[in-house]
Amino acid sequence: MTEANKLLIVDDNEEIISVFYEFFNSLGYEVKTAGDGLAALKLLKDKSNFFDCLITDLVMPNIGGVGLISIVKKEYPDMKIIAMTGYGDYPGALASEAKADVVLFKPVELSKIENKVLELINQKHDKQ
Amino acid sequence: MSTPLIGVSKSILKIKELIKHVANTCLNVLITGETGVGKEVVAQSLYTESARSSKNFVKINCAALPETLLESELYGYEKGAFTGAHKKRPGKFQTADKGVLFLDEIGDMPLALQSKMLHVLQSGEFSPLGSDQEFKTDVWVIAATNHNLEESMAKKTFREDLFYRLNIIKIEIPPLRERKEDIPSLIEYYFRLYKSEYPDNLGSRPDSDVLAKLCNYPWPGNVRQLQNCIKKQMILNSWEKIFEELPKEHPEINSPLLNENQQNGSSYYTNNGFSNDRTRIISEFVDLSTSSDKLFEDISLKKIKKLASDKVEKEVITFVLEKVGWNRSRASKILKISYKTLLYKMNEFEVHPPVK
Repeated sequence: MTEANKLLIVDDNEEIISVFYEFFNSLGYEVKTAGDGLAALKLLKDKSNFFDCLITDLVMPNIGGVGLISIVKKEYPDMKIIAMTGYGDYPGALASEAKADVVLFKPVELSKIENKVLELINQKHDKQ
Repeated sequence: MSTPLIGVSKSILKIKELIKHVANTCLNVLITGETGVGKEVVAQSLYTESARSSKNFVKINCAALPETLLESELYGYEKGAFTGAHKKRPGKFQTADKGVLFLDEIGDMPLALQSKMLHVLQSGEFSPLGSDQEFKTDVWVIAATNHNLEESMAKKTFREDLFYRLNIIKIEIPPLRERKEDIPSLIEYYFRLYKSEYPDNLGSRPDSDVLAKLCNYPWPGNVRQLQNCIKKQMILNSWEKIFEELPKEHPEINSPLLNENQQNGSSYYTNNGFSNDRTRIISEFVDLSTSSDKLFEDISLKKIKKLASDKVEKEVITFVLEKVGWNRSRASKILKISYKTLLYKMNEFEVHPPVK
């Protein structure tokens, strides 16, 4: 059996976190979660090269999604990142500028996110 | 020397941790918090911890200057750009190059300058007034405001695109009344600072009773107000006088309920935090210093409702009258009451035009 894909999901909304967790967990992913950018960075530092993909909200306290994406792309250039936003165009545009691989606008179907996750992880493996 | 970030509260420790994580990212930072909470101290700490600390930390207050002056301060100008521009002058973007530009009171920046600022942040280029040349700039922008920028965006006084561009890292500093555990260490810090600056001063440290009082005061002016009090104490050496001079809109400092609390528990921040906010509001309408029996007799919701609504009505009426230059018929229209009712209320609440 192949190893489970590992996801880090970052959102300041606990409900969203738990829905995402349940969904991806039931599909066999190994999922970790964080409530803001700072918590996410600490997890990444503890487990560098552990995660295959990061899914992050954009508007959050302390280190927001755009900041998180910028820092992660610099420190872990291979990390695949999906940004999600419900705050109109500006944060999304900034996330693209920060080199998020995919930017999705809420509301978005979970199955669609999973497709993107698979696509990105396959890209990563192909490259390796 | 810059002031260090002082405090032991959870929120201050979190801010310190955040500073360590972002100091070398050069990502735009937005610092928010009430006046006097220490927004500049946080900006300075970011700068000190960063690799830019050997370059300039340049501060500009966006609320203190008129629009045109703010623009020429930020971007500089060429000789002859406007009347009085006798020689070329570099702007803050130039002096802060490779260092930090601290934009204080960004919420007060005029809209026209906000769009120019956005352009610089997007492109990393600016042109001085009167110049058609674009210059590259490498500054780390740290902005601060005491405004709620979400509200300003809704009112269209702050650009949404600029907000999101600045809000990459957000540092929210809570008011001092929400982190009372920081008060003793702040007192100690400023006490030592002023003692070393003026060794001859006699001001004594607070004893435990005074410390309790200091910790229970809500500090509407936050750390800056506390700092000024310590400075005053060094000169007056009388805590009694200091307390007398503190604004009294917050009577809980002397409220009997609080004193009781202090006697029972030695802890100087009561476990109910500022449920005393409630006490303060109630004490405006009921005398809380009486015995419980008498107090319960006095508390009549109907009576309190009348007192409270009178108080607010009086303020609103005065506010509107002042706005319309004491034109009573205009004021009555604005307030949507009859002219007669307004005169009656002015008389009842003793609202009089200023004597010329």
